[in-house]
Amino acid sequence: MAGAGWKSSGGWHGLHEDTVATIIGLAVLALALALTWIARPADDPGSRATWPKGWPTPLAKTIDKPQTWSESLDAAFHDRKGNSIALPIVLGGGWVVAVAAAGAVLGGRSVGRMLPGSVVLVLLAGLAYLLASQKVIHFYNLEYPLWALMIGILIGNVVGVPAWLGQSLAGEFFIKTGLVIFGAEVLFGRLLELGVPGLLTSWVVTPIVLVVTFWCGVHLLKIPSKSLCMVISADMSVCGVSAAIATGAACRAKKEELSLAIGLSLVFTVLMMVAMPPLIDWIGLDPIVGGAWLGGTIDATGAVVAAGESLGKEAGEVAATVKMIQNSMIGIIAFAVAVYWSGWVDRSTGPREGSLVAEAWKRFPRFILGFLTASLVCSWLFSLSPAHALWIDGTTTGFTSRLRGWLFCTGFVCMGLQTNFRELAPVVASGRPLLLYVGGQCLNLVLTLAMASLTFGWLFKKVVEP
Amino acid sequence: MRVSPPVRLGLVMTAIGIVWGIVLPRLGRFPVIVRHVAAMESREVNPAAMYYTELDRLPVRSAWIEDRLILWP
Repeated sequence: MAGAGWKSSGGWHGLHEDTVATIIGLAVLALALALTWIARPADDPGSRATWPKGWPTPLAKTIDKPQTWSESLDAAFHDRKGNSIALPIVLGGGWVVAVAAAGAVLGGRSVGRMLPGSVVLVLLAGLAYLLASQKVIHFYNLEYPLWALMIGILIGNVVGVPAWLGQSLAGEFFIKTGLVIFGAEVLFGRLLELGVPGLLTSWVVTPIVLVVTFWCGVHLLKIPSKSLCMVISADMSVCGVSAAIATGAACRAKKEELSLAIGLSLVFTVLMMVAMPPLIDWIGLDPIVGGAWLGGTIDATGAVVAAGESLGKEAGEVAATVKMIQNSMIGIIAFAVAVYWSGWVDRSTGPREGSLVAEAWKRFPRFILGFLTASLVCSWLFSLSPAHALWIDGTTTGFTSRLRGWLFCTGFVCMGLQTNFRELAPVVASGRPLLLYVGGQCLNLVLTLAMASLTFGWLFKKVVEP
Repeated sequence: MRVSPPVRLGLVMTAIGIVWGIVLPRLGRFPVIVRHVAAMESREVNPAAMYYTELDRLPVRSAWIEDRLILWP
């Protein structure tokens, strides 16, 4: 993302931000994998029935986030069994402060000056989590990025950002580190989970919708910022906020652009989650085809499962699996966007100083390599045996997904504090980003329904009825 | 009238407190919302999951999908 980088944000003079994010991300991942392996269960280590979410990791006790609450805030700090999780929530914030401190050391900044602001940012991230976990908000899928951005924007515009806090605003660093850790969850083996029908639905429709929407945004709607077109296209066609974060970082989108794309995605996710199941019922679609349609079109994973389950267990399973396949495409798409941006888009706007490959490499966001390394290594480990798959699942569901959630949340607070919507006001007022999202989503709905009907409903459907 | 930043912050925090402390809990008692929340809770669905690893149950291919589809012709 453009704007304040490691060196330009006020005196980071050590390693480059991308390098620091990669080192810290991979080190945390290695630590988590090692500790989970050491504590691996002796009984049935390869049984999915015994360990449905993977091996328990000892690090799970060191991190959590507020649970859903309605009338009383007390419920936010207790798990479903009624045990207090206040300490893991505090420690979760502590992990972010530790990452910020390690980043300051590797980046050559003063840890002492960085820490007070980092603690305040983590407290604001905790507040965002608390707002997002209110029951109505939670079950209608208004995710934490929205509230983290809102808190940041409100504070930034109502009281301003004091100088001591400004020194700690390393939103891009938090997001890049979170993305490297996130690589462990992007498993290529998952792409094959639904066989040829799943591959066709994801691999044919998603890239077509992504490319066509981007092209329409740039050439038909003439939106001045290509990176805005890319983040809107990616979050709409792939998988919402997580895809927007990954591609936004790969094409160095502005904070304001990422905020706008995430806002659009969250609003339409809620609308589609509520409207699509009755529509599918009304049309009378087969639950498999309906589930595949939901999985391929609704942006956010949780909303896909919620909509699918309201159609029935079968539709819910297909919807969740199609979405998981799309989720697994993030790595490839982020890499492709980074290559395209550094090789073509930046080259066409900046001065030409060498060969295409040399220039592309110079501009390539290096943390994407850390993200891909984590993804490839964990994909390889995942494929070795059922026990290894449970090792990866346990590490990611029990620890790394929670840590990258805290890092993203803190990153969004920073972005909110630095967001200047005046820059985007003319584009927003023109209505073109909204038009791009709606037009792209219409194309997505039509193509996904056609492909899901063709593959899940006809070509690869067995005739099981007598 | 110019309002000082601390007062503005106080007003914003009060507004957040009213919405999250009073409005949303009351909204959560509407029958349509109660039904939606109860359905999601009974099926252990986490609609706020950003990625599949945040779901309460990881998606696993079921036998019935294999029965209904030719996955690898």
